[in-house]
Parts: sequence; C-alpha cells; structure tokens
Amino acid sequence: MAVIGGSTTGRKVRWTIVDIAIVAYALIPVLWTLSLSFKTAESQTDKKFFPSEWTFQNYRDIFSTNEFVRALVNSIGIALIATLIAVVLGTMAAYAIARLDFPGKQVLVGVSLLIAMFPQVSLVSPLFEMERQLGIFDTWPGLILPYITFALPLAIYTLSAFFREIPWELEKAAKMDGATPAQAFRRVIAPLAAPGVFTTAILVFIFCWNDFLFAISLTSTEASRTVPAALSFFTGASQFEAPTGTISAAAVVITIPIIVFVLFFQRRIVAGLTSGAVKG
Amino acid sequence: MSQTLESEAPATPPPAKKGKPALSEGKKAERRLGLLLCAPAAIVMLAVTGWPIIYSVWLSLQRYDLRFPDQREFVGLDNYIAVLTDGYWWTAFGITTLITAVSVVIELVLGMLLALAMHRTLVGRGLIRTVSLIPYGIVTVVAAFSWFYAWNADTGYLADLFGAEAPLTQQIPSLLIIILAEVWKTTPFMALLLMAGLALVPDDLLKAASMDGATAWQRFTKVIVPVMKPAILVALLFRTLDAFRIFDNIFVLTKGANDTSSVSMQTYNNLIRGLNLGIGSTMSVLIFIAVAIIAFVFVKLFGAAAPGNDPGGKR
Amino acid sequence: MGSTRTGGRGVVRWRALAATCAALVASPAVAACGSDSGMQINVYYAPEQNFQTVIDACNERANGRYEIVYRKLPRDADGQREQMVRRLAAGDTDLDILGLDVTWVPEFAEAEWLAEWTGENKSDAEAGVLEGPLETARWNDRLYAATKNTNVQLLWYDERVTPEPPETWREMIDMARQLKADGEPYEILFTAAQYEGLVVTYNTLVASAGGLILSEDGKSVVMDEGAIEALELLKEVASSGLTDPSLTNAQEQQVQQAFEAPDSNSAFELNWPYVYSAIQTANPERAAHLKWARYPGIDGPGKVTVGGYNLAVSAYSQHKPEAFEAALCLRSPDQQKFSAIKDGVPPTIESVYTDDRPLDPSKPEDAAENPSMATAYPMRETILESLQDAAVRPLTVVYQNLSTITSKVLSPPQDIDPRSTADELRDGLQKALESKGVLP
Repeated sequence: MAVIGGSTTGRKVRWTIVDIAIVAYALIPVLWTLSLSFKTAESQTDKKFFPSEWTFQNYRDIFSTNEFVRALVNSIGIALIATLIAVVLGTMAAYAIARLDFPGKQVLVGVSLLIAMFPQVSLVSPLFEMERQLGIFDTWPGLILPYITFALPLAIYTLSAFFREIPWELEKAAKMDGATPAQAFRRVIAPLAAPGVFTTAILVFIFCWNDFLFAISLTSTEASRTVPAALSFFTGASQFEAPTGTISAAAVVITIPIIVFVLFFQRRIVAGLTSGAVKG
Repeated sequence: MSQTLESEAPATPPPAKKGKPALSEGKKAERRLGLLLCAPAAIVMLAVTGWPIIYSVWLSLQRYDLRFPDQREFVGLDNYIAVLTDGYWWTAFGITTLITAVSVVIELVLGMLLALAMHRTLVGRGLIRTVSLIPYGIVTVVAAFSWFYAWNADTGYLADLFGAEAPLTQQIPSLLIIILAEVWKTTPFMALLLMAGLALVPDDLLKAASMDGATAWQRFTKVIVPVMKPAILVALLFRTLDAFRIFDNIFVLTKGANDTSSVSMQTYNNLIRGLNLGIGSTMSVLIFIAVAIIAFVFVKLFGAAAPGNDPGGKR
Repeated sequence: MGSTRTGGRGVVRWRALAATCAALVASPAVAACGSDSGMQINVYYAPEQNFQTVIDACNERANGRYEIVYRKLPRDADGQREQMVRRLAAGDTDLDILGLDVTWVPEFAEAEWLAEWTGENKSDAEAGVLEGPLETARWNDRLYAATKNTNVQLLWYDERVTPEPPETWREMIDMARQLKADGEPYEILFTAAQYEGLVVTYNTLVASAGGLILSEDGKSVVMDEGAIEALELLKEVASSGLTDPSLTNAQEQQVQQAFEAPDSNSAFELNWPYVYSAIQTANPERAAHLKWARYPGIDGPGKVTVGGYNLAVSAYSQHKPEAFEAALCLRSPDQQKFSAIKDGVPPTIESVYTDDRPLDPSKPEDAAENPSMATAYPMRETILESLQDAAVRPLTVVYQNLSTITSKVLSPPQDIDPRSTADELRDGLQKALESKGVLP
C-alpha cells in the first residue's frame, strides 16, 4: 500500500523532507510580509529576506491612523454580522434541505449552486447603481448584503453535509413524545448541530474577511471600507515614501485571525471543507 | 463557493414522491416548515443576485455614462457590438483563459501531490494539514502584496532572480507571477477536495493491486484516479470557475498593465474608473455567459457530478 | 516614554470608539456621533509633505469658525481620481474641497459635481493668475476651480557629468551615448510606465515636434506627422539602451529615486520641480551639483505639458461659502510661496515668482532658517520661461479615457511601431472621444 517504498526510517526521513517542503511552501510568503512589516523605512529597499534592523514603527503608525483602525473595525463588524446572519439563515435552509420534503427544494439547491459559481464582478455594476439609489452605497449594510448572499451557498452546503451525519432517530423519538417538527429542531437537533454550525461560521467568516472586489467597489470612505480595500489606499508618510512597511504591518494584523483559526480549528476546517465535497 | 453538496439524494428518498395523491397533515406541516425555513435564505439570495442580474441586462442595453447623464438612452445591442468587436476585450479574454487553464492544471498536479502527502505522510500529518490551511485562509490581497513586494524591483528579494529587468513590468513575467500567486493560494484548497476523494479509495483494492504486481504509478492511474474521478472533476469545475473570475491578484500585482488584464479587471476599469455603466454591464453579462458555458461543458462533456445538474433529483 | 505611550493608546482607543460609533450609524452623512463643536471643511488632496502647515495657517485665519481637515488621497493620480469620482457619483456630502489634477476639471464640471465660482470668489481666484494654468480651471467659459499650483517638467542634470545641458533630444541621446562609452553615468530618466506620466511625456514630445494629437477644440483626432515623429523618438530612446532598465515601471517617484541614489547611473532626469527639494535631503552631495534647464525639444527647447492642481468646491458640500473661503486661503499668494519653497510646486500667481521677501518677512533672510524664493527656488525663471511656451493637455470631458487609451497603446515604448501604433491610437482615441469604446 505504500506509495513510497523502503524501510520505515528511510520513509520517515523522506516524509520529513516532504513535510519541510510543504511548510516552507505555505509559510514563506507569510514570513516575508512579517519581515517587511518589521523593516525600518530605510531598509525597505535592501531586498533582503530578513530585516537587518527591527522596528515596531510600522505597527505604531497604522494604529495611530484612523484609516487603519477604522477599516479594522469595519472589517470585524461587517464580517461578524454577515457571518451571523448567513449562518442563521443557512442553518434553517440546510435543515430543511437535509431533513424535510417540500416543493422547490431542488430549485433552491440549484440556485444556490449558481450563486456559488457566479462571477461576482457581474454584480458589481448593478449593485453599485442600485446601492447608490437606495442610499446604502458605502455603508455597512451595503457590504453585508452581498456577503450574506455569497456566503449562503457555502453555509447551506457545509451545514447540510453536517446535518446528514446527525442521528435523526433522536428527532423521531422527540416527535413521538409529542414535539412538533419545529420543537424537535430547536430542542434536539440544534444542540447536536452546534459543532457543524461553528465550523460553518469559521468558513463563512474567512470568506467575508477575504473579500476584496465588493469591498473596493461598494465603498468609498472610511465609513465602510474594510482592511483589504484600505490596504490599496495606504499612502506613505510623505509623497516621497512608499507605504511598504505600513501595508505589510496591516497585512500581518489581518492575517492573525486566520492563523488563530487555523491553529485551533484545523480539524474542523478540514472536515468542513471536505465533508460536503465528495459524498456518494 | 468551496463546497459541493454532492447530492441530497439520501435526504429525499424516491418513495417520498410516490405518496403524492394524499398528503397527510404531517406532510403538509413538513412542507410548510420546509418552505418557511428556506424562504429567508432564498429571498436574500434572489434579491441580491436575481434582480441585479436582470438590472444588469437592462443597463447593458443602454448608453449610460455617469459623466454624460443627459445622454442616457436605449441603444439595443450596440454595447455588445462595441465590446465584442474590441481588441482589448478579446485580449483580456485570452489572458483570463490562459491564466485559468495554466493555473488550474498546475494546481491539479500540485494539489494531487499535496493530497497524497496529507493523506499518507507518516510524520507530522496535523502539522502539514495546519500549514496548508494558511494559504487557503489568508486574505488574497495580503498574499498578493507579499508577492508584489517579493518581485518588485525596489523591495523584492526575488526581483533580481532572473536578471536585472523588473519582472512586474513585462507581460510574460507578470503573467507567471500572477499564476504563481494564484496557484500558491488555491492549491491547498484543491488538495483538500482531492483528499476527500482519496479517502474513498479502499485500501484493500490497493493491496490487491500491489499483490498483482502493479507499480506505484499503475496503482495511481488504474486504481486511485478512477475512484477519485468524481472528486477530481468537482475540484476542477470549482477551481476553473473561480480562476476565471480572477481579480484581486491582478489588481495588486499589475493593475492590468502591460496586457495582463483579466475580464473582471477590465469590467472594473470600465465601470468604476470609466463610470460607463452601459459598457461595464455588458461585460458583466458576457462574463456570466462565459461562466455558464464553462459549467455546461464540464457537466455535459466530462460528466462532472455538479450538484446542480440533477434538477429532477435523478442522482 | 511611558506617559506618551499611554496617551497614544488612549487616542487610539478613542478613535476606535468614534469609528465604531460612526460606522454603526452606517451613514456617511451622520455627524451626530462624537459631535465636534465646529464645522469641518474636508480637503481631499494628494499627499504633499508640508500641506498640513498650509492648512494650519488657514485654520488660524478662520479663527475657529471652521476647521479645515486634510484628507490625504492616494499618491497616484489615477487612484486620487478614482476615489473622488466614486464618492461624488454616490453624492457624498463629506467632500468639501477637491484637489483636482488640471485635466479633471471638465469631466467633474460636466458631471455636475463642482460648484461654480462666482462674484467676489471668482475675481479673487482669477487675480494675477498666469493664463495657462487659469485655462485649466475653466470649462465652458465658467470658472470651476481656483488654481493651486502649476507644474512643468524640467531637465535636471549633474554639472560634474555634463557641464552644458543638451537643448534637444538628439543632443541628449548623443551625449548619453558618449557618456556610456566613456564609462560615465549616462542614463536618461523619464516617466514611461503605463500611466498618465507616459501621456505627459508623449504630449510634450508631440507639442515640441509641432504636432497635434487632437484638434484645437478637442473634438476630433488629428495624429499628424508631428505626432508620428514623437512616436519614432519615443521608440528610439526606449530601445536605445540609454534608459533605466526598469523604464516601463518608471513613475515620477522611481525617476526621482533613481537620480538620487548614491550609486546612480543617470545623467539626465526629466521631472517636476519637486525633485529639487527632495534631493537636498536624499543626496546632499549630488544636490550641490544639481543643475536644471528647459526640457529638451526637437529643434530647440521643448514645449512642455502643463501639470498642477486646482482646488474646486464640491457641489454636494454642505458648507459651500466656507469651502470657497478656505480654498482661497489654501492657494493665496503667501501659501503658494510657502508650497513652492517647502514642497517645490510652482506657483500659479505670477507675482509670487518675483516675490523676494523671505518666508517670514519680519526676520532677515536665511537660506536654511528663513528661505525666500531666491534661495530655495532658484529655478523659478526657467519655470516661468517654460510656462510661457507650454503645451496644455486637451481640455475634454473624456480626458481620462484618452489618457488610459494613450498610455495603453504606447506601452511598452520600445515596442512602438510608429505607423501602426499611430493608427491604433487614432482609432482608440476616436472611440474614447465618443466614450463608446472599451477601456483597456
């Protein structure tokens, strides 16, 4: 069964080398950004991978400007609200899809799949125009709405995959005890589904946290611009100075939540990403 | 976008459909509840995508430039003719197709290797799974900036790798860097999807093949790949559609200069920079059509088990 | 250190709170949160090192009636325009004063985003302004902006490398070739990345060759022999091996830094006058030998493209009278003099060029402490001369389209094929004029 033959120690050594290569692959760009964020303004252009002089100045700079702090608040707030709403709506829909028989189910699945594949840029023009008319251009709701929409398919798929793993006999038992389907959902299934919901929430949050196209097209000021969009508007301390250090520092800051998720919830994220993918 | 609901078949066993004539009270309640639970999600999705798509088609039939508000008028298919006869559009289309094809192929190969490693490694399985999630999770723009500064002639540790010429100012090197950034970010996702397929390959089968004297390569092509075929096709479909929309990486790395613009980038330029809603919407519609064609080709020609292809619930 | 730190953190927390508060209300117009006592006049302007000092001075003049706040735009012109345009398209009332590149006034005015200057404001804004720059603030015979600064590129050279500057491109190319052969610094630096700077370079070449890209009224495409000659020259220079290897990445800043670098390989820099003040700190040694001359042309000195910034008042501003007043202060003769001396940007008011009083007239002139135009802006005569013989970029609503197409078609300059590139440009510009074509 071994794909790579040889003695056990030999194989372990070879696997270790493979592992190191994978770790290097995944981490080098991250370390490079980290390194840039600690370089002094003078050494930004020395083209060395590691900083020769270390400084926290870039972090001090970004946290002393409204530009970044506010974008960070926007990013966190918008991603959290969108995640919350998407997960709630997604849970309801996924439960129905996984458990109930009702007309239009196939259509719903089909539509959400379409949306998942949808070229988002196609929506930018109409949304830009519509949001301008509705007055929600450059507001939190103006971003939260599209985020929910594009997160919903993800939430529905992941959740319905999880829901199918749940021992539904318990629900039947509850129903036999006289509970309505709604009660059965609330009292019995919801607690069992919590881990799946949590995993989905992480995936959805990452998705919202990541968005750039909507963030840059549907915002115009600090009122709602999120960090990914704000990054590309950073200006240097003067017109003679490139904002390399501050952009990198801000990039590191918004990577922290991702690293935390990955470190603490690796198993869940892997399960979430693979569960819905290939069943049956 | 990263999930596929392979099929909801287990949840809708065919027998349920047979009992159509007489719906029990319970069945009716179930239907009501089902509709009720799905309604909010369906409404949001339709409101934010359905209506804009229709609106987009409507805008694409008009001359509508925000800088000339008085000249707004219905022009039929003029915008489509303007775009489809334009060299810039086809250049961007070609570039997008090229980036998509090359990066998806590389991702498939690397992703398969990574999946095999994650599935089979004897050491540090948790470690490599954890680190490979970093590219998946990291904000695309952040990764793009990392690559930008790595290759930028002023700051980059990689800038002088291939001689003194600034790589991000020429078409071919720029495209290679864009593909590199794209591949780096999405290979782990591809690998995870493939790993799920790999888990379905029965060990007994591999053992049997091994005893029959099959080499590792034969086992891979004759046993593993056929079993994994559905997973591979789904992964390819998702990544192809995703890659076709490429925007973030190009925006940061080249802004589309030196013929590196993708269709999404060009739409953005016409819409947001040029404020030409008519032309911008036309491009949006065309991209939508292109994506639909890609999906159709995958489903019909390759038989990708896309979850959307079973409206009748046959699967 | 400890105490300042806490202070700093407090500020951050307060700001975060204010941001949350404002963001939760989620409307750009709402001012209820953290309500400031006074009125704010927001100035959206490109990053300019000492512009904050100008604002501070005007705030002092306002005497508490309003507070001018500097909202820094991105560094690149495209980014600046994009950000303002998007906000204006959404009817954002937060913008009061807009820092517009000289090419944007027609577009912004036509889209009805600018408040017209009338009455006393108008006469104040026009008083003593050079005709060329003033032209860029007008559209359809109305005044839509007050000129803040003008700009012309000059030829900068190192007197140790070339004691006498070249007068034409031909001379400059020959000199560079000779220098290269002699192992001296030789590179010719100019803006040629795919952006507006390439258009500026090309426009200067065309004007110097006596050619035209558009007709005088800006309504049709001409692309005559002069325009083609300019293409030939651009191609020749770009593929001569006499430029920086990263020519196609060269924006103003790259050009400036390449000339300033301690190990610089360059002999000639074609750039805006701000480089004069920038090099003083970046490379004092070379600064001591820095000389300037008029931009080289074809048969004599070149006809340079006029740049610069105008200040306009947004049509959506809630505080128009104050915004007009503040804008007038920000570009008053004294402030223009200050900006010229401190940031190197050329004034638009003619009298400033001959103003020989130091920054603080009450104290004696001192090159370091209390400079005057004479000590800190010695190239003023050359600038005035260039301005009197300058080329204005076509005033048209679709300037942005023209610029995008032009820089696209000309990139990369070494691949230009004069005849076919001219055809491509002619075709692209015609479509762009009608705003019917596709932007690349």
